[in-house]
Amino acid sequence: MNTGTAKWQRNVFIAAFIIPTLVFFGIFTIYPVIQGLYYSFFDWSGMSSNKTFVGFDNFKEMYHDPIVWRAIGNDYFLVAGKVIGIMAIATFFAVALTRFGFKMAGFFRSIFFIPNVISVVVIGVLWNFIYNPQIGFLNAFLSLFTKDQVTITWLGFTNHTIWMLLPPAIWAGIGFYMILLIAAIQSIPASYYEAASLEGAGQWKQFRNITVPLVWEQIKVSILNIMMTTLNGSFVIVWIMTEGGPDNSTQVMGSYLYQMAFRQYHFGYGASIGFIILVLSLITTIILQRLMRHETVEMS
Amino acid sequence: MKLGNLNPITKLICYVILFAWGISVLYPLLWTLLDALKNNEQFFLNAPWSLPEFPLLWENFSYVWNTYNFGTYFVNSLVVTAGSTGLGLLLSATTAYVLARYKFKGSNALYLLYISSMMIPFVLALIPLFFLLNSMNLINTKPGLIVVYASSVLAFGIFVLVGFFKSLPKELEEAAIVDGASHFGTFFKVMLPLSQPGLITIAIVNILNIWNEYIVGTILVNDPAQYTLPVELGVMQAEMQYRTEWGPLFAGLFITIVPVLVIYIFFQRQIASGITAGAVK
Repeated sequence: MNTGTAKWQRNVFIAAFIIPTLVFFGIFTIYPVIQGLYYSFFDWSGMSSNKTFVGFDNFKEMYHDPIVWRAIGNDYFLVAGKVIGIMAIATFFAVALTRFGFKMAGFFRSIFFIPNVISVVVIGVLWNFIYNPQIGFLNAFLSLFTKDQVTITWLGFTNHTIWMLLPPAIWAGIGFYMILLIAAIQSIPASYYEAASLEGAGQWKQFRNITVPLVWEQIKVSILNIMMTTLNGSFVIVWIMTEGGPDNSTQVMGSYLYQMAFRQYHFGYGASIGFIILVLSLITTIILQRLMRHETVEMS
Repeated sequence: MKLGNLNPITKLICYVILFAWGISVLYPLLWTLLDALKNNEQFFLNAPWSLPEFPLLWENFSYVWNTYNFGTYFVNSLVVTAGSTGLGLLLSATTAYVLARYKFKGSNALYLLYISSMMIPFVLALIPLFFLLNSMNLINTKPGLIVVYASSVLAFGIFVLVGFFKSLPKELEEAAIVDGASHFGTFFKVMLPLSQPGLITIAIVNILNIWNEYIVGTILVNDPAQYTLPVELGVMQAEMQYRTEWGPLFAGLFITIVPVLVIYIFFQRQIASGITAGAVK
């Protein structure tokens, strides 16, 4: 066989394995993203005939749209709440289940991950039931301590309902980040901890001086991941639990995009909301990465 | 590992917290099943944690399966999940193999393209996807959902499998080539079977994600005959304001949860390794 044929066969093979995936990915992922950016410069109700180029008008309109600002605020409220809540609890569980030598650690680990395999829709419906004013768990529980039946409409306050979305979001997110941190902690050589113990360092000191610096990379990844998934995906829990209400008070950018585009047929405006979500997640990624940059410690 | 310097009170507090969190996870599952066996009267008159009364209303399950068409949605979810997982796996495995084992012009750029696409918010693509599928007559069809889901899992699959193929020893391939196998033969007869653990990991993670997916499903499907389970649950819960059938709603939730729980119980380790592989971007 001469080298020409061999090379030709190699190229055919590479092409056959690369091109179908690339074409497929191009059509169903890359093209829609680019189109999404393109649509954001149009006023468009979905009928192709009445698509008018409006330049940056959608963005100007967004700037004057109080719901957009509220939605961005809610997005970052959820990011902050989830980062603090999830990282604190997941780190505690990860440390408790690795460093404290508890029996049943494996059992707890398996159990804690379960919410992560369940659909967010199911989680939303379950938590709606907890918050339900007539037949919910929370009011029934509070009623045990009072003479009168408690009938609080937990998802009905324009100022506080967004807080009610945090517990389900945190509860559902713990397992994933716990597993990540457990894997990271388990890769730390036991000798580090043994040496520290011999020198009389307690669990807290070991946590601060060994665990945190050595799993900082995973903590960073986790925080970035929480930020990304929240900005891109809070839509589902919001839509299932409150549909952005009452009075737009729990609207996030994702749910507002959905409502504008698929409920009110302002597709151009919806697309420009998508554009802003992209910009926000890129900016936030850069800022977070800067903030967390210098702390990494390499394992020697 | 010794507990050593953890004092008994701290230890006790830790145990209490661990157990409390464990209950907060397990109890809703149990209560989903118990509530699926109640009628409306029991929901409104009894405390939410009360046990269902006898006779247990197992017919809530058959009711939701037949009257609410959960049978159809179950099959829809099954077909869509299986189809997109299979297609996604085939497309990502072939590309990942070439990216891991062959050097050619643009291979690095291609790898970066796939990886960096994981950073782009998927919501941005929703509106165009709707119109794209509409123009292809794929709205309200299972193939429509399958292609979109398959495409959405490619980047993750390629990322994990490139790492996996790179970890396999080069000698295997060389031996196959010496034996006269073609590039295709080497891949399908040697490398693909060897990469089974990696493929299973990705398949499981993708199955869970696609089975549970809601946003794409609700945008690309508005014909009730083509709903997937999460989409129907969303619709059903919205209807609860006008038509309160709590027992059947919980039966529906239970039907949706059981398959992923079963998969989780059998494939825990693969799921954990999928997470750790996927998160170290």
